[in-house]
Amino acid sequence: MHFWQDAQFGNRMITLMAALLLVLQIMMVTQRWLITSIRSFALQSLLLACIANTIAYYNNAPYIYAAAALMLVVKVILLPVHFERLAKRIEVHQEIEPLVNAPISVITAGLLTLLAYVVAEAFHRPDERVGAASLGHNTLAVAIAIFLIGFFMMLNRRKALSQVLALLSMENGIFLAAISLTYGMPMIVEVGIFFDVLVGGIVLAILVHQIRDTFDSMDVSRLSRLKG
Amino acid sequence: MLILLLLSIPLLACGLTALVRNRRWMEAIHLASAVVSFGAAVLLAGEVLRQGTVSLFNGFLFADPLSALAALLTAFATLACAPYAIGYLRREEADQRLAPSSDSHGTDALPKLRMYYTLTPLFVFCMFLAVVANNLGVMWVAVESTTLASIFLVTFYGRPTSLEAAWKYAMIGSVGLSMALFGTVLTYYSAHLVLGGESMSALNWSVLVLHAPQFDKSVMRLAFIFILLGFGTKAGLAPMHTWKPDAYSEAPIPIATLMATAVLNCAIYALARFQVLTVLCLGPAFSSHLLILFGLLSVGVAVPFILVQRSARRLLAYSSIDNGGIMVLGLGFGGPLGALAMLLHMTYHTVTKPLLFFCVGNAQQHTKSDSLRAAAGGLIHALPITAPMLMLGALAVTGTPPFGLFQSEFMVLRAGFAGPYMSVAIVLVAFLVAIFCGIFHQISQIVLGPPRGVPREPICLWKTVPVVVLSILVILTGFWLPAPLYQLIDGAARILAVHP
Repeated sequence: MHFWQDAQFGNRMITLMAALLLVLQIMMVTQRWLITSIRSFALQSLLLACIANTIAYYNNAPYIYAAAALMLVVKVILLPVHFERLAKRIEVHQEIEPLVNAPISVITAGLLTLLAYVVAEAFHRPDERVGAASLGHNTLAVAIAIFLIGFFMMLNRRKALSQVLALLSMENGIFLAAISLTYGMPMIVEVGIFFDVLVGGIVLAILVHQIRDTFDSMDVSRLSRLKG
Repeated sequence: MLILLLLSIPLLACGLTALVRNRRWMEAIHLASAVVSFGAAVLLAGEVLRQGTVSLFNGFLFADPLSALAALLTAFATLACAPYAIGYLRREEADQRLAPSSDSHGTDALPKLRMYYTLTPLFVFCMFLAVVANNLGVMWVAVESTTLASIFLVTFYGRPTSLEAAWKYAMIGSVGLSMALFGTVLTYYSAHLVLGGESMSALNWSVLVLHAPQFDKSVMRLAFIFILLGFGTKAGLAPMHTWKPDAYSEAPIPIATLMATAVLNCAIYALARFQVLTVLCLGPAFSSHLLILFGLLSVGVAVPFILVQRSARRLLAYSSIDNGGIMVLGLGFGGPLGALAMLLHMTYHTVTKPLLFFCVGNAQQHTKSDSLRAAAGGLIHALPITAPMLMLGALAVTGTPPFGLFQSEFMVLRAGFAGPYMSVAIVLVAFLVAIFCGIFHQISQIVLGPPRGVPREPICLWKTVPVVVLSILVILTGFWLPAPLYQLIDGAARILAVHP
């Protein structure tokens, strides 16, 4: 038996990749360049697809490969390419000013991670024997952390496109939870969700374009006429 | 088969409308599809009454009284909106509000009309799918799709403010629904521990409900919080309600009507499905307290905004936040009485709200303004049919006897007083009285008053007949509910009133 066929090794790999996901998410919090943000998001999605592949490999589950393939097509290729083209066309490269500056953002992200670990404490099963069927059960904390940091990032951004990116990274957190806890939802649900993510991404991109055309800016803080 | 028919008609209408180039054909297809899908929904309800449940494709699609009721209400709202939309959009075209550019050729409006007549059936399809999908994941996908299908209906007029409204609608809605997705994943996880293995049916509600008492309790607790935040956003519960007034005031009237009735019903429906699982797993206290908190907050938030409101459509939006809150309170008070009150409220609200929206739409097209101040009274002289009906609708929606909403609100209160929630019910009474005063004051301000010397509006049948028919229905349902409909509501209430 090769060392990589041991479930223990798979578990460590998944933990490593989940940690990298979190690092990328925190990187995106401080990122000022839009293009870099888009690429970090693509990289994050790629890592997530790798996690799905690892789980599929140890469990011999072909439908998880399918979920990973969908992830690769939709979130690593189609949406980032589309967003990058949009960012170039409307010539916005830099996130001018997030509402909260970088050091405080990082501290907030750290606190949110801590909160996620507290919430996920109830589900932690350290005594569980590591086998193929329990791979990555302990990444729930990371999933919640990514979700919460994504939410914070959304509140912290003013540019429409970077809000969309934050939303999609929140969804990455949910996929991590879905894949690592339950090895993916039933296939039809998985397909439906990816379809929604794809359509949603495109619809939001069109909306971003219209906002840019109408207001001459992607700054959503200008969208403040409707009150009461 | 009926379920399949119900789902395929809107899709067919969407496809056909995309093909035709003639406005009259689009209108005819739209109207016909609304009539046929209402017929299908009625037949489905009849089938459910006879057989208890109807399922298709191994239980992938599934209708029990609760789904049949929600589908029937969606179909009713669609049917009410279809003829009104024809008259409304013709008038908008005549007033040249559909062509944003300066050139005013009649053909300019065609792309917008096609967008309306193709996206609306798609929007309706998503709502039908949400209520007949047995799989909770598919239900989530359908609810999220309603947001996606309606974003470009909110930006319909292409004004800067409509973009703002659509952006808020899209972002708040998507964040909310991503929370609902997280909740669905967690529910699946807590069920997965019991049911085990990968199988198609492991997220089917009809399967989950049998095993709910054995679910992992701590996971289910977390799941319900996410679900409540998620579908609560879609239902417009405070404090996630902020998209609602904006979207309602910018979308065309028929779309705002669908959002205020059918979408609200779908979101509450989804919430109710999860509530049943949560009660079976954790007992009634946990979810009831959360639902009552959010419900009371929603009713309370509506009060000040209704009292000082300046725009008629935003007034209606806050009224629908208030009514959504009352439904959630009914669900939260629980028991057979609370569940029945919630479903009755949903039914009566779906009959009453379109009347108000249509009347406000007629008034807005007459005065060219949505403002309650600009109208400055006297509508009753210029709009001799619409204006009294608006008054009637305002009385009905605030729960004045003898209208239906009075009965259902009274039942919600009774459920509150009967349970351990006396103080909540007292606060609710105070809020309801304040809302009654606010809406009645605002509406009478624009309806009554001396004539302003504007000519009487010519009567357009497309816009007037729905108003008259709806007001007859509003009065009629105050005294008499058809026995089969009551049976359906009662059957649905039995599903919701579960004991752990």
